[in-house]
Order: sequence, then structure tokens, then C-alpha cells
Amino acid sequence: MASRKVYRPHSEMRRPRTLLYHMWRDLLGSRELALQLMRRDISAQYRQSFLGYLWAIIPPVIAAVGFTFAANSNVLNIGETDLPYPAYVMFSTSLWQTFTESITIPMQKMAQSKMLLAKINFPHESLILASIGQVFFNFAIKLILIVALFLWFRMPVSSSIIVAPVALVHLVLIGTMFGMLLAPLAALYQDFVKGVPLLLGVWLFLTPVVYPVPSGEGLFGILVKLNPVTPLLVTVRELATVGTVSNPLGFWLASLFTLVGLALAWLVYRLGLPYAIERLSS
Amino acid sequence: MTAIEPKQQAIEQVSVEQASASDEVLLCVQGVSKKFCRDLRRSLIYGVADISAELTGLRGGKNTKLRQQEFWALQDVSFELRRGEALGLVGKNGSGKSTLLRIIAGLIKPDVGTVTINGRVAPLIALGAGFNPVLTGRENIYANMSILGLAKAEISKRFDSVVEFAELDEAIDSPLQTYSSGMAARLGFSCAIHTEPDILLVDEVLAVGDIRFRQKCARRLAKLRENGTSFVLVSHNSQAIFTSCRSAAYLSKGELISVGNVSEIINHYERDLFLDSVPEQLGAASFEEKSPDESHGLDITSLSFKGEHDSPVQTPFTGEPTAFVIGCKVHRQVNQVNVYLMISEIGGEGDLILSIDSAVEGNFYSLSPGKHELVLDMPYLGLRPGLYSMKIIIKEALLSTLDYVEKFMFSVDSHKAMNRSLFYQSVEWNVSEDCQDEGA
Repeated sequence: MASRKVYRPHSEMRRPRTLLYHMWRDLLGSRELALQLMRRDISAQYRQSFLGYLWAIIPPVIAAVGFTFAANSNVLNIGETDLPYPAYVMFSTSLWQTFTESITIPMQKMAQSKMLLAKINFPHESLILASIGQVFFNFAIKLILIVALFLWFRMPVSSSIIVAPVALVHLVLIGTMFGMLLAPLAALYQDFVKGVPLLLGVWLFLTPVVYPVPSGEGLFGILVKLNPVTPLLVTVRELATVGTVSNPLGFWLASLFTLVGLALAWLVYRLGLPYAIERLSS
Repeated sequence: MTAIEPKQQAIEQVSVEQASASDEVLLCVQGVSKKFCRDLRRSLIYGVADISAELTGLRGGKNTKLRQQEFWALQDVSFELRRGEALGLVGKNGSGKSTLLRIIAGLIKPDVGTVTINGRVAPLIALGAGFNPVLTGRENIYANMSILGLAKAEISKRFDSVVEFAELDEAIDSPLQTYSSGMAARLGFSCAIHTEPDILLVDEVLAVGDIRFRQKCARRLAKLRENGTSFVLVSHNSQAIFTSCRSAAYLSKGELISVGNVSEIINHYERDLFLDSVPEQLGAASFEEKSPDESHGLDITSLSFKGEHDSPVQTPFTGEPTAFVIGCKVHRQVNQVNVYLMISEIGGEGDLILSIDSAVEGNFYSLSPGKHELVLDMPYLGLRPGLYSMKIIIKEALLSTLDYVEKFMFSVDSHKAMNRSLFYQSVEWNVSEDCQDEGA
């Protein structure tokens, strides 16, 4: 009970060991709170809506219907995909949505918790952990759709599906990295709340979600290749279906980028948040 | 008056046990300063600069330079809080009280100085923070108390007493949006105090629920203090501070003006608070003479107080012989003159505190032309320390007003501690030597 705390004006970077210890302590200490927050938000999210859990699978289904229709009527000229096109779109959109949620849910949580942040001191890591939990929960519901998809289209399942979750975790973590950096900004600036969905719309077209990985070397092809989400998303899809990873180097580079970026984002989030809170009205 | 009484009783109970303060320092604030920027856009830019300095480790312990449009929200504030002690924090809006509480709570970083805390701090600032209206009371208790830092097992252990205290037994499994605001507030309060903190930061939240529940809250807080919880109490209600705290701190424009005995601090604060709005000198006034056509026959020319031995005083003292002197100039023979005084406390509820009507007492005066003084002798002044406003009306034969003063402001000071009384009662104790026969 006799916990001693000292609040100093100094940068916490000046005591790296204490900082690391505190980060670790708060990460562990926020697990239970994160669970409570996640439970609270998930129940609230689904209790407040008529369609409830269906919202997790409606977007991929709509996207699949739309793009399949467009592809079949040759409005869109999409190359050969290694899966039946509707299944390809639905599966990829589910993954893409999981990625975007891992950016937007932390931002939403932060905006919802403004009052809380301004008035109560609690480990802020819990908001991020709760967001990640919620992303996986929503993915679990999408999994029902994906399983149905596999059965309906009689898609082959490769044994590599066992490692697909690892790639999925990386996909969620890269989203979380961006979410963590953007969340405090979103609490302060409305611009981010409005701008991020727009940006995600553009980003979607630079990621092979509704089209296969382009082979061309044009500007578009290069942009798609440089997009760190590309190898992660493609690898999850490949591991779950065809079983061969087309770009293992890209995957590992993107994963490395994610992990280093995540650590830095955590640091920025943790150290920057008090200054953001200072500017939130209490 | 009657409506206020129970609340005051309740607060009284909080202060019954103050004696348990020990020497263990739970909270130590040393030379804390904090700067803020009034301009929002600029403040955000400074925020980015501050974050960069934080991340690069450039930010040191003394960030004393004010950037453009910045001001000190807190400046060099130091105090200590011991176990079981209750400190009242007073100051005008914007004096830095909430900023100080937020720094103590660890929400924002000081720019200079340090805050050392031994124990768990619970803010009774945002009642029901994190409540979600869609969820049931039960779910909200778990979410809210987790945010306040309790583990699930601890919450489960306290769950029943939280519900019992909030008096919600059947409603606990209904969604929060079906609760009345009072019920939600009770639940929030109950959650907060069941975290059993070492230091409780209370910011203007004691006015939740109905009077009975407020009493219950006050009793609970008193019990917490008996068990060694310390309080920092922010309230605009001086009475609440008087009755709950022994010591107080007065913040003005971010500076700690004084720390110490609660009655001195509150008196100081209230004087300052109302001085701003007082146009002229307190406790004495003089008026320009009117021309004969403007006059109704009698003009008030001056108002003043006299203390003991007829010495003029500006600030009369509670419990001391005091005279109120109305200087007037009479232009014609006036008969059946009576004086009516109405005194109300500034900053209070605005109720009339004292009304003195010479007509009711049967006192009428006849005045011949010339200068006169109407003197109201009070053997001892019954008003408690504070700031007052007096309306003075002088009438002739109860019908026509000769002259009046709408607002004469004065303050009353005290040599005695009489903080909890609403008025001064002159008392004298005697011990009767021989009373054996009395009962027979």
C-alpha cells in the first residue's frame, strides 16, 4: 500500500531505467482494467444497435457484392486472383477492416475517454490494450464469415494456417502503432477525426485488398510495394489459403518496422499524453 | 434557513474527529509551478514543443521561461498534508485550485517543483467517470472502480457494500440510463469512496443526491478520516470548508497567499473576494449634500461605525460594543422620523440577516433643521465575521421616504473563533456554589 510516487518536471527520458520499469509495470497493471474497459465497450457497442454483431460482417459482405458486381460487368478490370473473386474480396476486406479498426478504435476510445483522461489518473496503456482486445473480438466474429466462406467456396486449407495468426497479430500491431500515435492528436484536433477515415480510403487503394498484388513496375506498383501493410495483409491471406508466402522478405521487413515503430509509438504515447491531457478541458 | 440546516449538520459531523492527524506526511508539494497558455492554437503548438523536449530528454527541472501569451497558473506552491489531515483549498475561479489538484493526481506534469505522494490518491472529482448509460449499474461499478485502480477481486469483495451504500438494491441490474440523476450520482460517490484511498481529492462534489444522502456521505467521509484518510477539499462554500477542515490554503492567481488556520484563511479569502466588487471604502461613506429642491427635508450625509469609547472604526468586531452612526442634514422641521435598516450578507444566500426598524420599536424622532447624528447603539455586535450590505431608509411618519441608501457595504471582523455560529451570542458562565437543596 505504501506506494511512493514523485511527480517531477524533468523529462522521463532522463531516467531510462525507471521509465522502462514504469512502462512495464503499467502494461502489466493495466491488463485487468483493459479487460473491464473492453467488456464495457463491447457490450455497449452491441447493446446500442439493432443489428449488433452483424455490423462486424456487413462491410466485407457489401464490399464483396459491390466489387464482384463491378468486376463481372467489366467496370473494373481486375487481374486473376488466386481465390474465387467474391471470397478474395470478402476475406481481404475483413483483414483490411481489422487493420483499420486497430487504428480507429484507439482514436475512438481516446475521444470517448476525454473526460476520464482529464480527471482520473489511470494507466493509459489500458486504453490501447482494450482497443486491441476489441479488434480481436470483432475479428473473431468475422471469422465466422470467413469459415463460412471457406466452406461455401470449398477453398483448400493449407497446414500453414496455424501460423496465420502470427501474421495477423503483426497486421493488428502495425495498425495499433498508427492508432497510438494518432489517438492523442485526435483528442486535441478534430482534423484527425475527420482526416483519418479519408486517408484510410486512399490507403485502401494502395493495398491489394480488392485486386491482386500488381506485378507492374509503374508508380502504382512501387507505391503498393512500399506500403508496409501490403506484405502483412498478403501474408495472412496466403498463409490461410494457398500456403505459400510470396514475399517473405517483405513480410519480415514490415514486421520489423512494426515492432520498432510500436515501441517508439508507445514511448511517444506515454510521454506525450500528459501534455495532451493538459490541453483537454477538465 | 430551515432547508440549509440539515446539510450543515451533516458537514458538522465530518469534523467531529479531527484529532487523528499524525505526523506521517502523505503529500508533499514543493515549489510547484505550472504555466498555461490562453490561446488555444498556440497552446497546442507549445504542447508539441513540450512533447519534443520530453522525448529528447531536453526538458529539465526548471522550465521557468514564459513563452508568448503564457501565464503562471500556479507559482511556487508548497504545502504538506499529513495522515488524517483535511486541507481546504479556497480561491476564486481560475486561481489554480483545479490545476493543483490535477498535478497532485498526477494528471499533468509540473513545470517546476515536485509533488511527492505516499499512498493511493483517489479523486472525488469526476463522480461516475467512465459510466456508460447503456450498461447496467453492476457493469458500471466494475468499470468505474477498475478505472479508479481496483482489481476485480477487490471490487467483488466490496460490491455489496457499494450497492448498499448507494441504496440501489433492485435497480443494480437495470441500465444506467433508467436511473435518476440522483441515483447515478449516489452510485458514483459510492464507487469513489469504496476505493479506500490514503488521500482523497474532493472538488465540489459533496452536493450530490438529496439531503439525507448528503448527510450519509458526510458521515462516511468522517469515518474515512478517522481511519486515517487525508483530504484536500475544494469548495466555494466557505461553510463546508470551515466545518470539514482545520487548515486551509488560499490560492490567488496561482500563488499560495497563505496556509494556516482555517478561519483566518477563509476570512482573508472572503475579504479579498468581495473587495473587488466594492466600489468604495468599506464601513464608511459620505454623500454630497443635495440642493434644497432635491431634498425631501432630510438628507443622509454620512454613514460610519464607532467602536468602544466612541472611537471611529471602519471594520467593527463581532461581539464588541458598536455604534452605527447616520449623519444627516435636516432642512425643515421633521416629525415622527423613523429609521429602517436591512442587513444582508454578501456572498450568502441573499437573505435578510438583520432588520432594525425604529418604528417597530416605537421610536420616532423629531428633528429641527441643522446637522444631526442618528446613533444606533449595539451593546455587542451580533453579526459574525463576513461582508455585509445594508440598506438604510429614513421615513417621516411611516409614509414618505425622506432619504435612503440602497447599498452600504461593510465588513465585520472577529477576535474570537466563532466560525460555526451563524450569529454571536454574548455569554457568561457561572458556577453555582451551593445547589444541594435545589432538587428537594
